[in-house]
Amino acid sequence: MTLRTPSRVSFPAVSAALAFSLALAGGAPAWAGTLKGSVKLPESARSSRLYQGYWRLENGNVPVQNSGGAKLETAVVLQNVNGAHPPPARTVTVEIGGLDAHPRMVITGPGSVIEIKNTGKVRLDLSTPETPSVMPLEQLPPGATRRAKFDAIGGYAIHDAEYPHIMISVIIVDSPFFATADEKGSFSIAGVPDAKVHLKVWARGRWAAEEEVEGGSKEDLIVKVAAPGQKEAEKEAEKEAAE
Amino acid sequence: MFLSKIWFILIALVSAVAGTFALVAPRPAVQKLAVLEGQRLDRAQYAAEQMFKVDAHKWIDRVSKLGRDAILSESLDAASRGSGEYTVIHRTIQDRFRTLIPDLATGGIDEIVALDNKGRVIARVGGSDEKEYGDYIGGVEVVADALRGYLSDDVWGVGGRLERVAGAPVLSKGKDRIVGALYVGAETGPGLVERLKKNLDVDVALLLRGKVIASSRPAGELDALPEMVTQHSAEIAELKRTPALPLTVGQDKLLVVAAPFPGQAGEQQAYYALLGMQPAKTDLGALLSNVSSNDLKWGNFPWVPLALVTFAMIAVGLILQRVEVEAPLGKLRRELQKLAAGDLQKIDDSKYGGKYGGLARDLNAAVERFTHAPGARSEMAGKDLNAILGPSGGSTFDLPSAGSAFSGSTPAPAFNPPAAPAFSSPAAPSFPPPPPGGFAPPPLPSFAPPPAPSFSAPSLPQPFSAAGLGSSSPALPLPSSIKPAPWAQQLPADALDDGAAADRQMPEGEATRVVPYDLQEEEDAHFRHVFDDFVETKRSCGEPTAGLTQAKFLQKLRDNKSALVAKHACRTVRFSVYVKDGKAALRATPIRE
Repeated sequence: MTLRTPSRVSFPAVSAALAFSLALAGGAPAWAGTLKGSVKLPESARSSRLYQGYWRLENGNVPVQNSGGAKLETAVVLQNVNGAHPPPARTVTVEIGGLDAHPRMVITGPGSVIEIKNTGKVRLDLSTPETPSVMPLEQLPPGATRRAKFDAIGGYAIHDAEYPHIMISVIIVDSPFFATADEKGSFSIAGVPDAKVHLKVWARGRWAAEEEVEGGSKEDLIVKVAAPGQKEAEKEAEKEAAE
Repeated sequence: MFLSKIWFILIALVSAVAGTFALVAPRPAVQKLAVLEGQRLDRAQYAAEQMFKVDAHKWIDRVSKLGRDAILSESLDAASRGSGEYTVIHRTIQDRFRTLIPDLATGGIDEIVALDNKGRVIARVGGSDEKEYGDYIGGVEVVADALRGYLSDDVWGVGGRLERVAGAPVLSKGKDRIVGALYVGAETGPGLVERLKKNLDVDVALLLRGKVIASSRPAGELDALPEMVTQHSAEIAELKRTPALPLTVGQDKLLVVAAPFPGQAGEQQAYYALLGMQPAKTDLGALLSNVSSNDLKWGNFPWVPLALVTFAMIAVGLILQRVEVEAPLGKLRRELQKLAAGDLQKIDDSKYGGKYGGLARDLNAAVERFTHAPGARSEMAGKDLNAILGPSGGSTFDLPSAGSAFSGSTPAPAFNPPAAPAFSSPAAPSFPPPPPGGFAPPPLPSFAPPPAPSFSAPSLPQPFSAAGLGSSSPALPLPSSIKPAPWAQQLPADALDDGAAADRQMPEGEATRVVPYDLQEEEDAHFRHVFDDFVETKRSCGEPTAGLTQAKFLQKLRDNKSALVAKHACRTVRFSVYVKDGKAALRATPIRE
């Protein structure tokens, strides 16, 4: 066995390697990390249904499948991230058939176009009720397609007037730092700079929560979402208590 | 009068309070009724909510029971697996539905739909699209829930109608997997409204997307209701209902409690509103217009107490009037009549209180103002005169009693002779003594005594000299208003006192001659006048005048006058005639000055 003597490394090569390493460190921030956490939805929002009736009972024989549906329409978005660039605009096609939308949530950059195809047998009346200027109420016959462009940063909920359960969430983000929550509400956003960022949670067609978080935090973040109307009620209660 | 006034004020106050009470008292009652009506609506809303819950559970039970049907289960299992003829399965399920529920309308079912495990419609019964099948509706939440294994319900607002639906999974024959789902839809419109009204005893309206789709009130009456409910959507979102809201519908004023339907219809502004009547207005017109004949019946209205109170108030008022007004007035009148008849000399004003007492005092003062209060000596003289004269032809002589309306310290005007100063010394004219308190002395003629020629009166009658007027009387002062009689100018010049004539600065040929005052003649004239009056009064009283001669009468008057003058040291006596106890009588009044 022969021992190989280490070869001499030339200085220019070492210098070049060092310079490359430094340049690499400067281009991709060395302090970037992954923001992990979970979104705690209120009890009433943990259902796969958007709208509840009076009763929801298990059949007692076959285990129920409490997955999918509205539970998967939760997204966590970081805003005001320094140096972040929005995702490129693109065209996303959403098919509505069987009185359901696929996909139910689209997260994309400003200027994106949502193309909605009615593959079902019923006529649809789609609009963004909160921002009618973006997508006014318009009929979409079976087989027809409708396109809408979303330029402004924000969240949009496309509803059908006749079948409100058909809802498409469109979130236009200004950075690539976003993620959807899984069945348990967990999320993970990689490459978040070590700085304060603004975190917002989109759930069930609205911004459900927002807070300032440390991007470099290695602890699991827990974002609690209040039930609709609860936050306002708490604020009013605090105001009354202060008075 | 005081108590009467108090009583009238009291009645006015009671009437005002009663009127105020009548107008104000209904207001709290109406407000309370409005609150109670609102609470009734709240309870009705709670009851309606419970009814919807029970209904939903009932529909879930029913559709679950349908899902346990073996034929349906096997048919859907085959459809889900893709085995068997699809059309045959469709017909089999339809027939089975119709077998199990022959009359959907009787059961309150609008439609029944069977789906395979992918959400594809296998068969429909009822509804407008009964013949259609094969479409996918797996995205519908109640269907998706059923395919997940849940039994649930929902409310839809589709095609301008409300539909309550209940879905349930259909399990395989071995109950180990889900082979499909069923849902039933119950039409929610006029039928539900009618049932709610019947059960809750309130008017009901169903709203969907800003329109009233069914109501127990006439169409068009509740056009303002959707907007009103929309304005309270925030309250509804928080409280799941509105408070009792006022709503005016034509002439009616309603109270409305609205609550949302659950499920996706809630997203479509689907509400049910319960309507109650607001209590009537409280103004006087409304109160009177709401009175029915039944309210005025004996059993419903306290006529007897009201009549008793009314009569009692009237009686008290009349009694007070009687005690305070009529009784003293009558008493005063009677006393005045007595006073006029001479039975009383003055009114006993101490018996009267208040203004009647004042009136009595005023009357007494007025009477006294026109009469003269007799002095003690005059009274005595009067008594003496009666004692001396006695009845004369059935009549009496009398002096006015003290306090009488006819009493006085000076002679009655009719018999008042010319003032005595005519015979008094002009240097020291004497005046009547001041009258008693309260009497204004008669105005005395103020004149400067002219330098009338004093005259000797050799031919003065005896009574004249007996009256104290001798020849020493220097002159006879005459008031300036008294003109000398024409015959006086014919008196001889020597009849005048020489000294006086010398003092006079009269133009020659214009000497004024003064007729001496003949007291005797005047007294005779007075006595004759008294006689005439006396005879006339006796005749008017129906008394006989036979035997009554002027000479005897005059002689008696002279005698009595002399006796009175001597006894009371008065200058003369004046007589007057009056009626006493229906008979003519004489009253003697001593004249001192």
